[in-house]
Amino acid sequence: MDSRAPSVPERGPRPGRRGPGHRFARNPRALAGAALLVMFFGIALAAPRLAPYPADAPHLLATLHPPDRAYLLGTDNLGRDILSRILAASRVTLAIGILSMLVSLVAGILVGAVAGYAGGQIDAALMRLTDVVLAVPVFFLTVAFLALFGPSIPGLIGIIGLTAWPPTARLVRAEVLALRHRDFVSAATAVGASGGRIVVRHLLPNVVAVIAISATLRVGLAILTEAGLSFLGLGVQPPAPSWGNIIADGRAYLGIAWWVSCFPGLCIFLAVMAFNLVGDGLRDAFDPRLVV
Amino acid sequence: MAAYALRRLVALVPLVFGVTAITFALLVLAPGDPVTFLIPPEQRGAADLAAMRHELGLDRPLPLQYVSMMRDLVTGRLRSFGDRRPTLARVGEALPVTLILTAASMALTVTLAIPIALVAALRPYSVLDHGATLFSLLGISLPSFWFGLGLIYVFTAQLAWLPASGIRPTGAAGYNPSLIAPYLIMPTIVQALSILPVMVRYARSSLLDQLAQEYVRVARSKGLLERTILFKHIARNALLPVVTITALLVPFLLSGSVVVETTFALPGLGQLAVNAALARDYPIVLTTTAIAGVLVVAGNLAADIGYFYLDPRIRDG
Repeated sequence: MDSRAPSVPERGPRPGRRGPGHRFARNPRALAGAALLVMFFGIALAAPRLAPYPADAPHLLATLHPPDRAYLLGTDNLGRDILSRILAASRVTLAIGILSMLVSLVAGILVGAVAGYAGGQIDAALMRLTDVVLAVPVFFLTVAFLALFGPSIPGLIGIIGLTAWPPTARLVRAEVLALRHRDFVSAATAVGASGGRIVVRHLLPNVVAVIAISATLRVGLAILTEAGLSFLGLGVQPPAPSWGNIIADGRAYLGIAWWVSCFPGLCIFLAVMAFNLVGDGLRDAFDPRLVV
Repeated sequence: MAAYALRRLVALVPLVFGVTAITFALLVLAPGDPVTFLIPPEQRGAADLAAMRHELGLDRPLPLQYVSMMRDLVTGRLRSFGDRRPTLARVGEALPVTLILTAASMALTVTLAIPIALVAALRPYSVLDHGATLFSLLGISLPSFWFGLGLIYVFTAQLAWLPASGIRPTGAAGYNPSLIAPYLIMPTIVQALSILPVMVRYARSSLLDQLAQEYVRVARSKGLLERTILFKHIARNALLPVVTITALLVPFLLSGSVVVETTFALPGLGQLAVNAALARDYPIVLTTTAIAGVLVVAGNLAADIGYFYLDPRIRDG
């Protein structure tokens, strides 16, 4: 038997219609989101070249300096350039967002695929676990974890990822359940493919669209969570900048220096919106009926 | 119904047990000895530390510590490591703040979500519907603490209309609505905006589902007023999923309260939990987590009871 047994695509392009790529490209909001994302990734990659000043260099003669030509977005209470800090923080924030999304994706796919394929008591037990994680106000546990173990970037990625997997697990399980009695799965079973092989080679490729949509929306949520934690002082630790902790720095000077908190917040808002726009656009392009 | 509610309450036990066990495991695995947070450095002789550890019961085997803390929690004898007051009293002071804020944000959300969803669902894909979608998108992308600081900047720093922190004027006590209202306006708006998009999305799709049902066509062909169809026939059915989502949003609001209470310096459950975790106050951390679990289950139960009264198929069936 050929080891590359073809699997039947579940949602091929319908006759007489164009494919998902075409639908995505014709959706102005999705394109706007994609453009914003490209911009943010470009900024993050080029941050050291773009930054006019070192991100953590204090300048005590220019503290709380309002935005002008020398400091485009102003300076904070130590005279550090806000623009340079925002640029440096974009790398930290995007990295945490994407890595924690990957953690939640792996956990969600694992739980969802095993539950959906194995069925029975394993399915019941895993779904019960999923319900519990969804029902608990996980932010309390996240905060407790970071306060107790001390905030660190790997800790942040791990805890954000490991509390965010239930929606992905539910989606993957639902898709796997819908597919597991299809003919191509029976065919694979008939030629002796193992359970793991069927899941990885035959079922998961058909779930890629759902996973991609879910993953995109997860990055936005992870960025919001990281920002909130950094604002509480439990996320990225100063002097390393993150959009959330720059806002926290500016909080005490809100009345006299609005620019410190304003601009990093705007970045969070736009970055999260970009991921949401692209995620929604992907969903509309692949299958508008999906509830992700 | 009473039997059902009772069963749900019994199901609460394993949930609270599980959540507190995880929390306790985190507490004991975490680096840092709670005793060192309680004794000033100059008095930290080995004997002092051991005595304090014995006094707090921290020298006993871990499973025993957990069991005795849980037993004391249930009987109300568990005391904070910090000020040695009963944890239930400490939580009792913080809980009303969080509950009032949660209830007010829920009420504001439902009041806003239903008209928005109605407008969007009655004219799907119109300018208004697209406007509602765009508004939802803005709402879910907005970091709540940043929005809160924006409100403080405008309404406190610039206009001086509203107080930016605390729950009541200094010197006042209790929860006199007219005294605490100005303190709650901004936090409530922030919390409501964070869940409004979800609520609107559910209510809209639920209304669209109902509008496409046969009974609506029957009602129209009978010549009933569109208003009668909407409010007497559709609304009750379309409200059911909204009731469910309201309950499911309780954990979300509780999680959000941690950040919002910090933004507005509200002395609620979220603040208490964060400060207790930072100070290694095990009893307070356990109590707040347990209470949060109870609140979530209570929210679910409230939704089920709401269902029961709204849906005659469940009530009489």
